[in-house]
Amino acid sequence: MVRVVKSTIMEAPVERVWEVLRDFNGHDEWHPAVADSAIDRGQPSDKVGCVRRFHLSDGSELREQLLTLSDADMAFSYCLLETPIPLLNYVAHVRLAPVTDGDMTFWLWESRFDTPEGREAELGQMVAENIYQGGFDAIRSHLELEGA
Amino acid sequence: MPRVYISSVVDAPATRVWEKIRDFNALPRWHPRIRDSRIENGEPSDRVGCVRDFHLQNGDRIRERLLGLSDHDLFCTYAILESPMPITDYVATLRLTPVTDGDRTFAEWTAEFDCAEADAEGLTNGIGTDVFLAGLNALKRQMAG
Repeated sequence: MVRVVKSTIMEAPVERVWEVLRDFNGHDEWHPAVADSAIDRGQPSDKVGCVRRFHLSDGSELREQLLTLSDADMAFSYCLLETPIPLLNYVAHVRLAPVTDGDMTFWLWESRFDTPEGREAELGQMVAENIYQGGFDAIRSHLELEGA
Repeated sequence: MPRVYISSVVDAPATRVWEKIRDFNALPRWHPRIRDSRIENGEPSDRVGCVRDFHLQNGDRIRERLLGLSDHDLFCTYAILESPMPITDYVATLRLTPVTDGDRTFAEWTAEFDCAEADAEGLTNGIGTDVFLAGLNALKRQMAG
């Protein structure tokens, strides 16, 4: 089992970052890897259990299900249902916390998953850098923040 | 029940910050408000259940019991047994989380306690500013050096 943990500090109040991240269907507006996204059966994107169907820029289609959403903890978790990339039993957690000293945001993004044998490092690196670190950088420019 | 939450970013790896704070008897070595400290009954300071007996710079005496310590999750939880403050059921946690982007540390210090309603705001601000923020600022200065 591979475990990926990435975290960063965003130079913005936590409410502002959470407003963007809590929309489970909003990632096509900011994540460079996501071309388009829609929630299955027209459900609201904050309905726990809803499924987002999205395409990467290379055309591959993925489906992910929202497992947890908490406005109280500013956290959500989700799993992969269908993917052409061999990430198996993939469950990810996102959590924000206020940095009270400076009115900034701590953002943690972590996951666990299995891969075909021998591809642990390659796929772990891909998730950590392309998806999570790439997502941090994208939100930073989406919110027009300076690099921290 | 009043709650205090103070958090900050320390520009050093979490393992280094943890080395500095995991010793329950080390407050005088990093917190500017603490004058001296000892662990009762000569127990090791990482023995969960041990009690630290310490003085502030102004001479106030406080006793606190270690309730939880994790080298894995990098947190320390403790309760006040005795203090001059008009509070009861005070439990606090100091927790570190690595910030992988830049190899820094996210430090959170929280407390919950009971007190008379009229005292709540003053105690919350005092603990938040004089104890937690002052401690985190001292850590930031010391880890930068």
